[in-house]
Amino acid sequence: MSDILSTISTMVIEGNFVDMVDKTNAALEESLGAEDILNNGLMPGMDHVGVEFKAGNMFVPEVLRSAKAMQAAMDILRPILAETGVETAGKIVLGTVKGDFHDIGKNLVGMMCEGAGFEIIDLGKDIAPEAFVNAIKEHKPKILGMSAMLTTTMRTMERIIKALEEAGVRDTLKIMIGGAPVTLDFANKIGADGYAANAASAADMAKQFAG
Amino acid sequence: MRTNYRTNSGVRFRMLSDDQLQELFDGVLHVLEYIGLEVKHEHAREVLKAAGAWVDGDRVRLPSHMVKDALAKAPRSFTIFARDGNPEHDIHIGPGRSHFGPGPTCVNFIDIETMERRPYQLTDVPNVAKVVDSLPNIDFCESLGSVDNVPYDLSALYEFTEMFRNTTKPIVAWSFDYYDSNAIHRIAVEEAGGQDAFEKRPTYIHYCEPLSPLISTTDSLNKLVFAAEHRIPLIFTPCPLAGGTAPVTAAGTIIQAAAESWMGLTIAQNIQPGLPFIMGGVLSVMDMSDMILSYGAPELSLMMAGITELAHFAGLPLWQTGGCTDSKTFDEQAITEGSLSVLFSALTGGDLCHDVGYTESAMTGSVFQLAAMDEAIGYARRITRGIEVNEDTLAVDAIHRVGPNGHYLKDENTLRYYKSEYWLPNLIDRTSYEDWVLNGERSFKDRTNARVQNILAKHEQVPLKPETEKLIDKILAEGEEWVKQKED
Repeated sequence: MSDILSTISTMVIEGNFVDMVDKTNAALEESLGAEDILNNGLMPGMDHVGVEFKAGNMFVPEVLRSAKAMQAAMDILRPILAETGVETAGKIVLGTVKGDFHDIGKNLVGMMCEGAGFEIIDLGKDIAPEAFVNAIKEHKPKILGMSAMLTTTMRTMERIIKALEEAGVRDTLKIMIGGAPVTLDFANKIGADGYAANAASAADMAKQFAG
Repeated sequence: MRTNYRTNSGVRFRMLSDDQLQELFDGVLHVLEYIGLEVKHEHAREVLKAAGAWVDGDRVRLPSHMVKDALAKAPRSFTIFARDGNPEHDIHIGPGRSHFGPGPTCVNFIDIETMERRPYQLTDVPNVAKVVDSLPNIDFCESLGSVDNVPYDLSALYEFTEMFRNTTKPIVAWSFDYYDSNAIHRIAVEEAGGQDAFEKRPTYIHYCEPLSPLISTTDSLNKLVFAAEHRIPLIFTPCPLAGGTAPVTAAGTIIQAAAESWMGLTIAQNIQPGLPFIMGGVLSVMDMSDMILSYGAPELSLMMAGITELAHFAGLPLWQTGGCTDSKTFDEQAITEGSLSVLFSALTGGDLCHDVGYTESAMTGSVFQLAAMDEAIGYARRITRGIEVNEDTLAVDAIHRVGPNGHYLKDENTLRYYKSEYWLPNLIDRTSYEDWVLNGERSFKDRTNARVQNILAKHEQVPLKPETEKLIDKILAEGEEWVKQKED
């Protein structure tokens, strides 16, 4: 591996988002391809972060700093990758369902998935079923992630899935759900494809789904 | 800028008022002045007599000015050093600092592989020392047992050598009498690079126990005199049983124990003014149905808090007790009793808290209890560290940056403080149910066992100097010869 790629990996691990823009441009000037930088610079760094996080040696704030460093590079690389037709991890649409304003968990899922190389379209919170449907039609994501924090709002996820079915887009994507009262049983019952207990496993699941 | 700003930077409690402490203090002086102790050591009696004590046969009474003089000579703050110079392993004794470690001389040990109870063996010492060396909240080393499979008179010496080899944390060394005290000291001095070097940076504390009620025994004073003459920091700790060998009332037990400890203090300060001295002892109740000294009773924590406050009132550090249990096994009782006494001990700011890892009322040592209590100590230390208040921790800037509807996960303030504001557990499980199932549904006991095994598999000891190793071989050979001659 070239020095500059291993430096980029280290910068991801250390969460050095400040110098990442310059270093990514320098790599491009050295005629390294965007795909090379992504697969052999950024991703090995994020993979390392994932391993250390699972082992309890890195913590959420550090992972987010690493994700931010990765994003700084991706902002430069993404248009180039799109131009050259390189397949990236893909898009995820995220939202907290109608009536629910608790979105820290959903935000965390978004940042973790960004760290895993996904492009995140975050609809925000208190999102109505039709807004989910419109976003799916517009962005054509591989994955939809929904969250609810309350037992009173979790049922809305079922309504959203129904709305997607009626709009004929349910089968174009995988649906994963989460939130404090949500369980695997519930996910199965309402016809979601997966349930993740926390943000890190949500990112793992997204990678599997994008496979 | 702020001036005359008052800070309470940690949580401590205070049980007794100044008036109550003065009454206890006066009670101790009364016991020493009007009742006195049996001092079964001729040289000690001579030292005391020359300093103004009233000696009548073995009975020695101390005028209160002598006791106050000894208290004034003893330091409140001092340092015990890591033998390898690692500053993270130094112990700085002083107000508001609590340190923790195991206890000595249990008969039995919980086997590290089988988790079964059996007699304590020489091969157990290195394992205990390695676990002590690795646990972040254990600060000093004792071995949790007396070695069963070496000559009886040499067991403390063998034990010391194995502790000294396998940890660089300061050691609290018990011994039988003059012979092994001297042998232990020769080893420590060799490693330090001479007596002067040892006095500048002492690496171990000498431990002696007088007898309750009110006897300074010959062997305990042989050891005390040896420590004083060689300027070895000293613990002099009685073990009164309230209702048995001490009054049943907590206040009465506290003043008797203090009188027993301060007789030692007065002898030691007259031989070696300024000798670092740690007051004892272990105060608990004799269970009136089973006749054991309870190591899990709330009265232990309460009396230890009382004597800690008296020690601090008098300007001395205290040999605290906690993290121990009457339970026979690693169960809910063991963790409840151990954790509560650890927190209570930390809240008193007691200086060196020992007996962490004692089970079965001090009959059986357990590194599993020790490792579990390391977690409880970390927890307690986070609480006693309290809440830091300054402009940066008020975080008004961060609240400005994030505002309504945002989140703090990415804020620089979060990154800067989450590690110091949060305590990070090692054994306590906070994973989701799904992850817990995925990780094998491990109980606290399973995780504690895994941690101990992991430490023992990975620990690398910092070797002693080659000349120290040579001296240890020589001293142990001499010792074996000495035992043989004694038997002949």
